[in-house]
Amino acid sequence: MGLLLITRFTLQEAMRKRIFLAVVLLSLILLLGFALLFNFVVDSSHAPVALGQDLFLLGIGGFMSIPAIWLVYLLSSVLTILLTTNMLSGEIDAGTFTIIVPKPIRRFEIVFGKWLCYVLLLTAYTACLFFAFLIVIYLKTAYWPSDAFSALGVLELVVLVLMGLTTCGSAFVPTLVNGAIILVLFIGAQVAGFINLIAPFVAPDAKAGVQNATTTINLIMPTDALWHGCSFYLTSGAMTLLQAAHTNTPFTSTEPIAAALLIWAGIYALVLPICGAWHFQHRDL
Amino acid sequence: MGEKQQLPAIEVEGLYKAYHQLVAVENVSFTTYRGEAFGFLGPNGAGKSTIVKIITGLVAKTQGKVRVLGQPENSLEARRRVGYLPELPTFHRWLKAQEFLEFHGHLYGMRGMALQKRCKEVLAQVGLAGKEKQKLGTFSKGMLQRIGLAQALLNQPDLIILDEPVSGLDPVGQHDMRTILLQLKAEGVSVFLNSHQLADVEAICDRVAIIDKGHILKIGPPKSLFDEPLVFDVHVNAITRELLHKLGAVSLSVREDTDAPCHLLVEVQNEEQAADVAAVVYVCGLRLYTLAPRHRSLEHLFLTTIDMSSYTG
Repeated sequence: MGLLLITRFTLQEAMRKRIFLAVVLLSLILLLGFALLFNFVVDSSHAPVALGQDLFLLGIGGFMSIPAIWLVYLLSSVLTILLTTNMLSGEIDAGTFTIIVPKPIRRFEIVFGKWLCYVLLLTAYTACLFFAFLIVIYLKTAYWPSDAFSALGVLELVVLVLMGLTTCGSAFVPTLVNGAIILVLFIGAQVAGFINLIAPFVAPDAKAGVQNATTTINLIMPTDALWHGCSFYLTSGAMTLLQAAHTNTPFTSTEPIAAALLIWAGIYALVLPICGAWHFQHRDL
Repeated sequence: MGEKQQLPAIEVEGLYKAYHQLVAVENVSFTTYRGEAFGFLGPNGAGKSTIVKIITGLVAKTQGKVRVLGQPENSLEARRRVGYLPELPTFHRWLKAQEFLEFHGHLYGMRGMALQKRCKEVLAQVGLAGKEKQKLGTFSKGMLQRIGLAQALLNQPDLIILDEPVSGLDPVGQHDMRTILLQLKAEGVSVFLNSHQLADVEAICDRVAIIDKGHILKIGPPKSLFDEPLVFDVHVNAITRELLHKLGAVSLSVREDTDAPCHLLVEVQNEEQAADVAAVVYVCGLRLYTLAPRHRSLEHLFLTTIDMSSYTG
């Protein structure tokens, strides 16, 4: 009961402070910009005779789904970090918990009440934006990823992973420290993924070492690995249709996400908030 | 003392709290009773707020036992019957006064019309009637202190814990706060008051504890804490040798007040000896203009106790 009360209160706070609404509005503007640009690109392109117009459009749709959903991935990740980095530490610093914690409510209810609110808010935001971009692509090219729901599931897991980290961090360290750590890890994971891709070409001897380092970074921050998994689900249908060869790029993957990584990410997303709640339960305020 | 007052409100036994190397509270024990107003005095950094935070579950104790209304300090059962006003009124400033009270009412498990009615009552009680729709962000510090008190009163608590409740209040606000606390006390609510406003503590509290450097130095009713002799200011028309001699025989000590002519400072053991002093003046054939005990305020006691603690410590 207390948990749901905190969830409702946090939702009320997010709406009242208008940060979330501002981001939603900006996302809509971005979506509109993408739709206009995409429309212009498709209308100005000419299908090669050998491929045919329909197949050509499907190819464009499949190709464009990658940057479009990568944008969703980036927006969701940044919004998750921005909104939840101060989830607990912000209130600890402000002193607002001193009036809530002595009430008849358990501390873990406060943590998970807030966590639940942001999970609902951010997963809904991610799903809405994901489908909005895919609908724009579908309306112009008739392309719809056959594994769209798997792609969305992996994308939502990115949000949960980041939330696990922010929740845990905000129970342990001040907001700025938490934000800095998470941003460095998030960007670090992207960079590691990129280096892992180019390492075989620029330094073939270091391939194994880079691979190990990337795996370690992916275990610490699995967001980039999850994104690559998501990209596979977005394009696998299109590549089959086009009978084109899959190639790895910094933004795409030729293979579905490993089950072990999915399990790891799931544990990560669940265990970290529990660690945060455990620490918050025992810390002085 | 009534039957209810025999029951403990707060029991603290062998309390010890250390923040890493810093010992904030060391072996503190005291009990407050139901219906009693208990004052907690001490200089900054004495450990008062740490003890209050331990009692309210904000800070974990390192060692010792704390029971609130017969329950462990973290029990939800006890928390339902306790109201708490923290030292700094740092509330969610985006909330309107009514929303703020409703949220805290919900935390206490209050709902519906009963909550609405109670919100209205407490707003009126703290002098904020008509401010329901005003955002806390626009409140002055004094108004925040009042709304903080309102949320502490929402659940009609059996025990109210107040940490520096008059800080930030203007003289009218301080007077109102004192009136509310006296009213609560009259209604049988146990009051735990942590304050620097010694006059308020003296006016409201049945018992006082003086704490410094994590130790309780003195505890008891304000009057019983005085263990020094009573000093009478005696104003006569003339000071004679005979008067000094005879007064010396019925008192602990006599000295002339260097700041005022014809004034003597006579130390006696108790107030009843004032009659002996008056009789001596009469026997010496002198006129007695003033015979008044020098007021020994809680402030005096507090400063003396803290001074002695620093000296012996």
